[in-house]
Amino acid sequence: MNNASGLVGLIPIVLFLVAALIVSIVIRNRSRKASGGFVKEYFIGNRGLGGFVLAMTTIATYGSVSSFVGGPGQAWETGFGWVYMAAVQVTTLFLLYGIMGKKMALLSRKLGAVTVIDVIRARYRSNAIANIAALIIVLFFAATMVAQFVGGAKLFEAVTGYSYVVGLCLFGIAVIIFTTVGGFRGVAVTDAMCGVAMLVGIAVLAGGILNEAGGYTNIMDTIAANHPQMLEPLSAGTMPVSLYFTQWLLVGIFTFALPQSVVRCMGFKDTKSLHRALILGTVIMGAMIIGVTALGVLAAGVLTDDLSAYGSSIDNIIPQAIVQTLPPWLAGIAIIGPIAASISTVSSLLIASSSAIIKDLWLHHAAQKGTAVTEQAVSRSSQIITLAIGAIVFVLSIVPPDVIWKINMFAFGGLETAFCWVFLGALFWKRANKTGALLSMAGGVATYCICMAAGITFFGMHQIVIGITVSFVLMVIGSLAGKPSEPDALEPFFPEEEKPAKAA
Amino acid sequence: MAAPMRHYTYREKMAQANREAKATLIVLALTVVVWIALGFGLSGLDIQLFHTPIWVLGGTIGVWIFSIIAVVVLRTCVFQDFDLGDEEEGKGERHE
Repeated sequence: MNNASGLVGLIPIVLFLVAALIVSIVIRNRSRKASGGFVKEYFIGNRGLGGFVLAMTTIATYGSVSSFVGGPGQAWETGFGWVYMAAVQVTTLFLLYGIMGKKMALLSRKLGAVTVIDVIRARYRSNAIANIAALIIVLFFAATMVAQFVGGAKLFEAVTGYSYVVGLCLFGIAVIIFTTVGGFRGVAVTDAMCGVAMLVGIAVLAGGILNEAGGYTNIMDTIAANHPQMLEPLSAGTMPVSLYFTQWLLVGIFTFALPQSVVRCMGFKDTKSLHRALILGTVIMGAMIIGVTALGVLAAGVLTDDLSAYGSSIDNIIPQAIVQTLPPWLAGIAIIGPIAASISTVSSLLIASSSAIIKDLWLHHAAQKGTAVTEQAVSRSSQIITLAIGAIVFVLSIVPPDVIWKINMFAFGGLETAFCWVFLGALFWKRANKTGALLSMAGGVATYCICMAAGITFFGMHQIVIGITVSFVLMVIGSLAGKPSEPDALEPFFPEEEKPAKAA
Repeated sequence: MAAPMRHYTYREKMAQANREAKATLIVLALTVVVWIALGFGLSGLDIQLFHTPIWVLGGTIGVWIFSIIAVVVLRTCVFQDFDLGDEEEGKGERHE
């Protein structure tokens, strides 16, 4: 393979990782001086995110290595229909901020909540729901993190010529260390760096492809001559309408319920920051997702052989495009984009997994038993757990499972099934109660997992359709059949009209 | 000079957040309609711009531009600024 081998291709990514580490250390030193306590600083950054960092951390957490590799690879094979489908993701940021943003910000301050499970526990007054939610978060996040590590390391191997394990060690260890050191605020700021790197990577690769193909017109003429179906939305039947429908649900509408995104609504500074992120995030998200997926189609003007010539895997298309169209030093810069997408997702999931174990399980259990936990013990344990989860995921990634991309999408659907109606019920439906939430979360996820394992589908659509429908039905039935929530639990979520003061 | 921020009670802030969520859903519905109209809707036309079928431009860049305009309108006409703090803040768990 004509790799961008040698130190030249490696230097940009090493410099980027060193910069991320330095930023995390600086943030850690600054945050030590901040008031508010360790847990609030480490797990939610003392609610200090500004508009730009909020937008970028949300985008970087959402945009994973599969946005950079799997999606464009599919677009290379399918055509502009895949870009059209990817465009549904322009809704993700405004749905998250518009539906969840201010309510989660107000409630988290009112309740002193640091994690999404804090809010769920306060609303439904159920340790069982909180514990199941923590378990779901840790398991599905771990699966997603493995997918990110594997995807990033494979890409690294294909582009630089260094081995898979070298790549995994290089950015795997770096991301674990800077997440452990920097906490939520460090993750958010390094996410912003990653977001910028992703945009730079897209621009560099676009330049390389256009230059290699002799311009945009040449590419379009090549596609029209060789693959005219790539210019049709249904791509000669390979993209049925049902696929568009399920993608609207899976990567569009229901993404507002992903806990790793929702927790960002608890960390911004003020409403101005949210509003800035709303506009900025929608602009950047569209540019990134449409841009990166369109690169896959444009690559069809450069990589004109059959898929078998590229290792029979669409995941090889973007690495091949990088290697074939860019000189080694530019390839080194372009590869930072997908690697940044990988590490920004891992860092966000790592800190959220750690908070689920430390804050939602251990500290809550200690508080219930009346056991005092010192700040020093919390600080030490939080960092040890973050490091330990990172290390476990790292070890699992050393021998990559074959079905890793399926695991990634499986985790996405599972998290949406688990949290969508539980969040919506908590924030917008007074009648939603503990019974409904428990049934919805546990029953929905169990149904979804069984359907995925058994390959059961509804008219060939992704199992998210079944999972989210069952979860909804169970929420409604459980809430109507079960005992209503206690008035004092409802009060912060649905504040009653203030009684007028009596006249003297 | 910016206008002073209006004072909201906690209840009013939650009610405003509800209004913003409803408006967001309306924007979602409009985006779906625009996505269908500018993508599938234009795919029957044999028109190209910059060597690109018009439905590709409409269904991707067109939808993106629409969503940007929609969120600017949301921000300007519906979303309100208020203080997120509350006098009772942090009465929850005490490990902070």
